[in-house]
Amino acid sequence: MRKNRLYRVLGLALLGFALGVALTQGQQELDPYKEAERQRELFRQTAGILPGELYAAQGEELFHAKRGPKQVSLEACDFGLGPGKLEGALTQLPRYFADTKRVEDLETRIVSCMVRLQGFKPEEVKRDEVKALVAYVASKSSEMPINVVPRTSQEIAMYNLGRELWYHRAGDRDMNCAICHEAYAGRKVRLSPVRSPRQGLSNEWPAYRFEADKLYTLQDRIAFCYESVGIHPPDYYSEPYIALSMYMLAEATRGKNRFTEMPGFTR
Amino acid sequence: MRRSYLISALLLVGLASGQPGATYITPELQRLIQAGGQNYANVLLKQAPDQALCSIHRNRLPPEVLGPFIEEQRRLIKYPEGGRLMGDWKRGEAIYNTLARGNCFSCHAGSPLNIGGNVGPSLEKYGQRGTSEAVQRYTYEVIYNPWAYFPCTVMYRFGHGGLLKPEEIADVVAYLLDPSSDFNTKPALRR
Ligand code: HEC
Ligand code: HEC
Repeated sequence: MRKNRLYRVLGLALLGFALGVALTQGQQELDPYKEAERQRELFRQTAGILPGELYAAQGEELFHAKRGPKQVSLEACDFGLGPGKLEGALTQLPRYFADTKRVEDLETRIVSCMVRLQGFKPEEVKRDEVKALVAYVASKSSEMPINVVPRTSQEIAMYNLGRELWYHRAGDRDMNCAICHEAYAGRKVRLSPVRSPRQGLSNEWPAYRFEADKLYTLQDRIAFCYESVGIHPPDYYSEPYIALSMYMLAEATRGKNRFTEMPGFTR
Repeated sequence: MRRSYLISALLLVGLASGQPGATYITPELQRLIQAGGQNYANVLLKQAPDQALCSIHRNRLPPEVLGPFIEEQRRLIKYPEGGRLMGDWKRGEAIYNTLARGNCFSCHAGSPLNIGGNVGPSLEKYGQRGTSEAVQRYTYEVIYNPWAYFPCTVMYRFGHGGLLKPEEIADVVAYLLDPSSDFNTKPALRR
């Protein structure tokens, strides 16, 4: 029932998107921020709801549904603030979890809960479901201050590895993250303004990217940067993502940044 | 194979930084990268000594490393057969303005076909520098291996990295320098 409604609204939203694209054709100069704001308004007006909110609604259903071999919901999943406590949960991730004995970001934590609580096999976990769940849990941290402070030895180690990876140059384009996001923060690659972690890089994910018409998690966004410099991205849920996220979000915390509206809405 | 590559990288790093045995890829970092999967690790662990130097020094080489580094980068430059450094500007235009080829416009302003980024300096009216042997050589070498002039810069080492063949680089040089090239006769596209 509910799903049908969701899809109808989504159809409408897509129409709004098509309209938006049609309207932007031929326009030469686009300020990416203004353009995102414009697209967002267009969605609000034509569909009455943002795509990110639709994903979050899907995630909410999945979160509370009894699923998996054990037929339980995810309500007992602990994101670091206690079982089922979602308010502000994203603001303090990644962090160390004693039950899995590893540092996890929101995406890997959701997978851990689907495996440990619901009894799914890791290979049965569907990426689309994880993304919707990420959108839902993140929606409870909308516009909150980022608060990632490595404290345990595992968290500090993960932060340090993230920093090494951040500066690690490799591949036939000699790439690392710092070369774009630090040396040239404030400048533009084509039309895109580049930010540094201290300036809040990574504070809008998960987000709906209207150019791709898809929800991107932070892992998706990092993968996109790897692809854009011709490096095969890490496998989903693997540690390079957790280390890089830990580094970027801890630096964003030092820069006193907040999350944007969650899920974000961007180009 | 990969192992010996790594070890030679570490050795060179140690030598260049004056501390024998200094390492960059620690066992922990190596394990973390491997956790990202085979395809990812293949690229990230195959780090060349010069890439390692830029990594350790956070892209800013100290004076004692700089001299030998630049010398080494100069040695890596290869020239087109026959030695012609200016090719066909029309072919160069396509390379310059194609994301999957030169992608030059993403970082440089100056193209009449694409709005440029500003990560690199504007190349608008680059042809005003003339077509002397020295200007041709500099332009060719910067594109073949920018690290010979700007160590650890973000600009890809197009020739050294195998992204463009020497002849293709000569075509791009012509696009920038040839007085009849659209790059020099037409106004740059602006935001
Ligand atoms: C060649 C330059 C380049 C490299 C290298 C690069 N990025 Fe990016 N990155 C960009 C650009 C351009 C954007 C898009 C900014 C926009 O449109 O808002 C971006 C966007 C991002 C974003 C989302 C934007 C935001 O404000 O939250 C994240 C997160 C990110 N990059 C992380 C990384 C990480 C981690 C690495 C290293 C693995 C990396 N990037 C390497 C250029 C680069
Ligand atoms: C990822 C960004 C990037 C890309 C792609 C790029 N460049 Fe550059 N380029 C730079 C930067 C940055 C500099 C300045 C070097 C420095 O200060 O680090 C530069 C310098 C140059 C210079 C020397 C400028 C001068 O005034 O002497 C030339 C010429 C040049 N680039 C041409 C090209 C061409 C041709 C291409 C495409 C084949 C290209 N660049 C692609 C970033 C880039």
